Amino acid sequence: MSADKHWHLVCYDIRDQKRWAKVFKILKGVGEHLQYSIFRVRMNKTQLEKLRWQLSEIIDEEDDLMIVRLCPACAKRVIDSRDEEKWSESAPSFEIF
Amino acid sequence: MSNTIENEDIFQSHFLAEKTTDEPLIRVMALHALAYCERLFYLEEVEEIRVADANVYAGRRLHEELDKGSKKYTLELASQELGIRGKVDYVRTDAGELIIYEHKKGRSNKGNQAWPSDHLQTTAYGLLVSEHFNRPVKELRIRYHADNKTIIIPFDLDKAKEEVLNAVKKARGLRSSLGRPQVSVPEKLCRACSLAPVCLPEEERFVEEEKEKPLRLFPAEDEKRVIHLLEQGAAIHKDGYQFVISLPDGNKKSIPGANVASFVLHGNIQISTQAIHFCAANDIGIHWLSYGGHYVGALQKGAGYVQRRHRQYETFHDPLFKILLVAKLCRAKVENQLKYILRATRAKRSNETQGQEALQASINSIRHEIKALARIEKSLSKTGNETITQHDKVIGEMRGHEGRAGREYFKALTCILNLPEDNFLYFNGRNRRPPRDPFNALLSFGYALLYKDCVAAIQAVGLDPCFGFFHTPRSSAYPLALDLMELFRVILWDMPLIASVNRNQWRKQDFEITGQQVWLNKEGRRKAISLYENRKREKWKHPVLKYSLSYSRTIELEVRLLEKEWTGQPGLFARLRVR
Ligand code: SF4
Repeated sequence: MSADKHWHLVCYDIRDQKRWAKVFKILKGVGEHLQYSIFRVRMNKTQLEKLRWQLSEIIDEEDDLMIVRLCPACAKRVIDSRDEEKWSESAPSFEIF
Repeated sequence: MSNTIENEDIFQSHFLAEKTTDEPLIRVMALHALAYCERLFYLEEVEEIRVADANVYAGRRLHEELDKGSKKYTLELASQELGIRGKVDYVRTDAGELIIYEHKKGRSNKGNQAWPSDHLQTTAYGLLVSEHFNRPVKELRIRYHADNKTIIIPFDLDKAKEEVLNAVKKARGLRSSLGRPQVSVPEKLCRACSLAPVCLPEEERFVEEEKEKPLRLFPAEDEKRVIHLLEQGAAIHKDGYQFVISLPDGNKKSIPGANVASFVLHGNIQISTQAIHFCAANDIGIHWLSYGGHYVGALQKGAGYVQRRHRQYETFHDPLFKILLVAKLCRAKVENQLKYILRATRAKRSNETQGQEALQASINSIRHEIKALARIEKSLSKTGNETITQHDKVIGEMRGHEGRAGREYFKALTCILNLPEDNFLYFNGRNRRPPRDPFNALLSFGYALLYKDCVAAIQAVGLDPCFGFFHTPRSSAYPLALDLMELFRVILWDMPLIASVNRNQWRKQDFEITGQQVWLNKEGRRKAISLYENRKREKWKHPVLKYSLSYSRTIELEVRLLEKEWTGQPGLFARLRVR
């Protein structure tokens, strides 16, 4: 029942364009697109299992999926050409526009 | 084999049985829940509370992955005779004999047995398949993936029927009863139960056994974020599984749908129908506030929660019950006010400062009102329902004590703030519609935010916000939300607000003054929202339950504890206090 969230890297290789697009759309709903087939998502166990289930409905045996969980220290050490400091901070609990 | 599985019209029997029965069929998965815990069955099947946790999703994925590998047959079957229906995932024929397969993500029972709930579930599938093909199933096989064990159970038609019919009978009995079953399973089962955060079994055990401290199964923090939109003319759209927020200056920002707990739309903000549908489907709240900070309404999803509301109506009709709740609530509110004043004026009271006497007088009066409330509560607990004839009069009395204490409290706040009369935030008593000075504008705006969260918590628990016990119905506000707010005004808004005033965080430019009325402008609202939302995420230790959780979660917890007042485990509601 832990509410602990961690950064995860989600990387995939999808052999079929249609499936690729579906996976892309789902990941857009949970995290940020970093590179061609790499997303980062901040999730707890339940959310991660939900995502894995959603993806398993789409991807085929010939496709590859890799999810890497980053501990807070690893997340801080990420070298990212875009926006570095964002990896360490915990997500804001509110936003105002 | 004349009756092959492949060419069977799988929906036929299901459809017919559903049509001809008066009593809705029971899902086999519901029988699984029943064998696990009767209360779980009741919460899921009768009250329709379903919470998917990590295990549920992992189980689904297992089935998804198995589908890709081996050839399998899925049968959707129903039996009117048995009164059940279900989706049998794997049926295999082995030398002409039917075998039922069931895959489970977890471990087997001691490495050589099936768990009772799994046993019942597969047995029910066995019966459905036997009836459907009109020949008995040979055996059931339950494969436990975590310890890689397959349990084989020979199938005995008569025994199976007896087992399943007994369970169906029990299920029907529960389905027709209005009372939620008590917690009666070992703690171990609750720890693995996805409904624990709404069932709160530990809190009940805590009351019952007077444990030192309950094991926490209630989440400590909110996982998603609240999005406030202040920028007039902004719009929210949906794109796939994400929201896109378009600001009037042409900027766009996309937010993954999974990260949003709720939207709060202040004033003139557009939201597309598609976005509203997405919110409804994914339990994302939408709250509309007027630009002036009045609560307009919230997205309320479909029907449901009948049992819970029914029980709420029944209990709130019981005059003694209602009075006792009022007594608890008034005590909590006034005691919190007193505690805060004592805390904020500790230094002041020990020195001879200006206004010290007035402050002491206010404190004394509040103490006096608390004593009066305590006396009423004591006399209430002694009398039975019949002897209290003038319920309304007693409630009126308590309301009087609460009101007088409230006036003294606000007087004391003036002493705590200790601003010279020419300061723009000088506060001299509460006024609201509309607020006539900046401090009152701040109080009102913060309470509107708090009101929003109270409504949301009541909705999340499935109670009816229209039906309260303390506030009388007014067309513009939900009485139950107003009731609940009384517990949190001091803790969630007065305290952080006054601290921010003392830190000089406010400027005149944060307000708009039009004639007699004072509003917060955009910058002012931004500050107020940050102050409030940051307070909500602060963690504290619940004084009775002794575990720590955010204030935001505390609001929902109190609603769940309130519901327990009339579902068998009273005594925990309204016991939170300022430390
Ligand atoms: S938390 Fe425990 S008592 Fe409540 S439904 Fe789950 S198993 Fe039953």
